[in-house]
Amino acid sequence: MEVIHLGVVEYREALELQRALAVDVASGARPDTVLFLEHPPTITLGRRTEEGEVHVPDGAAVDVVEVDRGGKSTYHAPGQLVCYPIFDLTRHGQDVKKYCRDLEEALIRTLAAFEIDATRIEGLTGVWLASPPRKIASIGIHLTKWVSTHGYALNVDLDPAPFTEWITACGLDGYAFTSMARELGRPVPVDEVRPVAAQALADVFGVALEARELATA
Amino acid sequence: MASTTAVDVVMPQMGVSVSEGTITKWNKQVGDSIEADETLLEISTDKVDTEVPSPASGVISEILVQEGETVNVGTVLARIGGEAGASAPAPPAEPVPEPATQPAADAANAAASEGQTVSSDAQPLSPPTESASGNGKSFVSPVVARIASEHGIDPTQVPGTGTGGRVTKKDIQAFIDAGAPIKASEPAPAPVAPADTPAPAHTAPVTPPAAPTSQEPQAPGQAPGQAPGVGEQFEPMSAMRRGIADHMRRSLDTSAHVTSAIEVDMSKVVQIREKLKKEYTAAYGVNPTYLAFIARATAETLRDYPWINGELRGDKIVTRNYVNLGFAVELADGKGLIVPVVKNAETLNLLGMAKGIADVAKKARDKQLTPDDVVGGTFTITNPGGYGTFHGTPVISQPQAGILGTYAIVKRPWVITDDNGADAIAIRSMMNLTLTYDHRLVDGALAGRFLRDLRERLQTWGEADY
Repeated sequence: MEVIHLGVVEYREALELQRALAVDVASGARPDTVLFLEHPPTITLGRRTEEGEVHVPDGAAVDVVEVDRGGKSTYHAPGQLVCYPIFDLTRHGQDVKKYCRDLEEALIRTLAAFEIDATRIEGLTGVWLASPPRKIASIGIHLTKWVSTHGYALNVDLDPAPFTEWITACGLDGYAFTSMARELGRPVPVDEVRPVAAQALADVFGVALEARELATA
Repeated sequence: MASTTAVDVVMPQMGVSVSEGTITKWNKQVGDSIEADETLLEISTDKVDTEVPSPASGVISEILVQEGETVNVGTVLARIGGEAGASAPAPPAEPVPEPATQPAADAANAAASEGQTVSSDAQPLSPPTESASGNGKSFVSPVVARIASEHGIDPTQVPGTGTGGRVTKKDIQAFIDAGAPIKASEPAPAPVAPADTPAPAHTAPVTPPAAPTSQEPQAPGQAPGQAPGVGEQFEPMSAMRRGIADHMRRSLDTSAHVTSAIEVDMSKVVQIREKLKKEYTAAYGVNPTYLAFIARATAETLRDYPWINGELRGDKIVTRNYVNLGFAVELADGKGLIVPVVKNAETLNLLGMAKGIADVAKKARDKQLTPDDVVGGTFTITNPGGYGTFHGTPVISQPQAGILGTYAIVKRPWVITDDNGADAIAIRSMMNLTLTYDHRLVDGALAGRFLRDLRERLQTWGEADY
């Protein structure tokens, strides 16, 4: 699997790149590919976003984009590690639920490396810290002929307030969101988490890492 | 190659553990033509959206399942081509058909047709009024059934133009638009609704929606997506409701719940509160509620009962030198609840407690709670007494060891001992309190002493206890 590190990329631009790569992965022209990146402040609305989920205050510097991934609304910003695995799922079990569970497993292992004990909540896809439940990573996927786009967003070090103040993220009314920095009580650079996240993904999907750093986005 | 016989588009098999999917978007409408392999619709399972390509080229003749509906794998979603003739089962519209998954898909198809059989079996249950016109239209799609029940229409009275005379959504819509005998016809399938309900028979069933059939904690609300029965309605389960369902189930699976109750004479608190109410409201803009008194007394009492303020963590017993009090807050419309926490409650006086509770309750209702506001509770108070209930057995908020229930304060005749040592019957403001505790950690005698001490604090509330 080829890992591409992109830095901060505008949401729509990253979406176009994903779609282009997905075509190549589908045709076999390139191996399974993983993009790691961050987005500038952006609210994305999944297909299942419901009315009333978005309540951005006037004047907030944030982009709002409607997208074709599963799930409801979510929030991206620098300090959040975004991972887009472009995988041919016919090689990875061909099972949408298994794929979600596998992404969750990769996240749980990534967090465990930082001694954060994360868990799943049945019926609430994503990764959570328990008692009380607070969400640390979100998942949303789109499949075209079993090739995946979109992926997960892990809150490394960003203010989680917009998840509840600007939107009812994931349609989860009243639930709390958190970040690794908040849980660890120290600043956590995304650069510190990315290699761990890439290794965890490779381990869970049983593939070898083939890192490639792209200087330009 | 346009087909002369209709080709079924079915809900594809998206994995061995996946039994159903939700239609999120139709890219084509009835009457549109489509090429084989072109994306016809999108479905959603878990947090995955998937494009479903058309299994054949032709014109869409029927769309049987509408956006937002969840149906079992193998359910026919649409038909392509065909002249109301027999439909030929097509290969399942799998994005990438793999021989390996074929048997599973076939099995699912079989299961789905069983589901249809169930539907037709259920048909005789609907009032057989004027159903003589029925012409073998045994199967009604969920959406048609819903529209029919909403409008009080017997679907067998609707002329069907679909395959085999089946009633399509278009048919029933046209039937209604044409000024169908909505009111003239019997307000048919609403056996439990008031008899003289006017036209939009939108009345919710008197009986609550059926509970999830599965008692297994891992699958709350994931009952098979079949059509509701006569007089029933389905509504989707919110993520919060699923979260609550999961938490409640897990709590009962974790703790050994036992509940003890005690009666408290609140007359003194009632008296003091009357005095303070004006003062606090005028000076601080906060109402000294009964809950604030009880919370204040509870925080004090918990300091003497570290295990009730504690937690079982693995094989260790956790005790604390602080009390973080959680308060169960109902969200608007009974749509859910959340338990915000007042931190270091042991440091707060009555005014501070009243302010703290009002503050978190407001934040909860306004959705302004931060992660910090809901973490770290060590004990919870729930207050269902506002509705007049006098007893309950709440569920512990994990991983805590106890939850206090407070109930309605009512005036009752009560036997007291007067200053001369004589018994007398007096009118007193009485309240029941329950302590539900985890018997793994807290024994009945300890719970009893806790309740006794809490009662004592409330009954002897004095100036110094503010």
